[in-house]
Amino acid sequence: MVFDFVSWILGKKDKPRSKDLAKERLKLVLTHDRVDISPQMFEKLRRDLAIACAKYVEIDEAGMNVRFDSQDRTLALVASVPVIGTKRTSYSSKGRGKMG
Amino acid sequence: MNGKVMVVTSGKGGVGKTTAVANIGCALAVRGKKVALVDADIGLRNLDIVLGLENRIVFDIIHAMEGRCRLRQALIRDKRVQTLFLLPAAQSKDKDAIRPDQMKELTGELASEFDYVILDCPAGIERGFKNAVAGADAAVIITTPEVSAVRDADRIVGLLEAEGIEKPKLVINRLRPDMVRRGDMLDIEDVIDILAIDLVGVVPDDETVITSTNKGEPAVLDGASRAGEAFRRIAARLEGEDVPFLSMEAPGFWGRIKRFLGAAR
Repeated sequence: MVFDFVSWILGKKDKPRSKDLAKERLKLVLTHDRVDISPQMFEKLRRDLAIACAKYVEIDEAGMNVRFDSQDRTLALVASVPVIGTKRTSYSSKGRGKMG
Repeated sequence: MNGKVMVVTSGKGGVGKTTAVANIGCALAVRGKKVALVDADIGLRNLDIVLGLENRIVFDIIHAMEGRCRLRQALIRDKRVQTLFLLPAAQSKDKDAIRPDQMKELTGELASEFDYVILDCPAGIERGFKNAVAGADAAVIITTPEVSAVRDADRIVGLLEAEGIEKPKLVINRLRPDMVRRGDMLDIEDVIDILAIDLVGVVPDDETVITSTNKGEPAVLDGASRAGEAFRRIAARLEGEDVPFLSMEAPGFWGRIKRFLGAAR
C-alpha cells in the first residue's frame, strides 16, 4: 500500500498496463480472424513456399517463420526464410526431411 | 426526397446499439431532420421503451409489411420532437418473419419520405443482421473499449463489406476516462488503430444514459448529460459538420460544480 503510494508519487510504472495486453491480444486474434484460413491450408502454404524457395537457394526449412500480419485492414503474408547456401540445388524432399 | 438509410450495428449485444439509435435519431430530429427509426430486432422489441413510446404501439413492422395496415399507420410520432418517428418491431414473431428483400422495399419506401431512416440492428450476424443491412446504404458500428466488443466489431466491418456497405463509421461507447488514464482501458487511438475505420464519435460512460432510459427520454434532450452532448456531436458529424471531439477528461472540482449548476437549471 505504502509502496504503491510512493511509486505513484514517483510516477513509476512497474505494472504492465492491461490495455497494452488487450491491444496485443486483439491484434493477433483479429489477424487470424481476417485471414480465415485453416491450419491445414496454412501448413500447405508454408510447404509450397519452402518448395518454391528451395528451387533457387538452399534453405533451412525448420528455421522458416511464416505468418500473417495486418495493418489498416490489408493483410500481408510475412515470411522469413533462412538461406544456408546460395548455390542452386535441386530440391528433393529426401534428406531434407524437416517437412511438416 | 431521397433520404439516407443507415444501419446501426455491433455484432455483440449489450454495447448500446438501441440507446445510440434513439439518441442519434432524436438529435438529428432536433436539428430539424425528418427521421424514421426502425426497430429491426423482431421478437426482442426495445427501441419503443427506450424512447418512451411503448404505450402507443398499435401496428408494427410486420403488420405494415404484410399489408395489414398502411406504413403510415404503423409509424408512431414522437410528442417531444415532432419530426421523429418510430416503426416498432413485432414482439410475437421472430426474425424469420421478414426477408431481406421485403426489408429493402420497406426502407426504400421510408427513404422517399424521410431524411434519415435509421435501423436498430439485432445482435448477431444471422438472419436479423442480414435483414437490417439489406436496405442500408451506410452503417454506424458501435463498440465499447473491450476486447470482445472490438473483435465482434471487426467481424461486422468484414460482413458489411461483403454486403456492399463500404466505409462504416465507428462510435466508441462507454469510454471511461479514468480507466484510460490508468492504462486499464483501450483508448480511442488503440481502437481506431485496430479496426482501421473512421471515427464518428466517442461517448463517455455516463449514468445519465441509464436515468434517461428509465424515464424513456433520450439523453440528447437533457442539456446537462455528457453522453447526450456526445450524441448531439455525432449527429452533427453525420450531417457533415466538422465538430471537435468531446474532451474525455473527467471534470475536476470546478467542473463538477459547473455540471451540478447546469443540471439544476
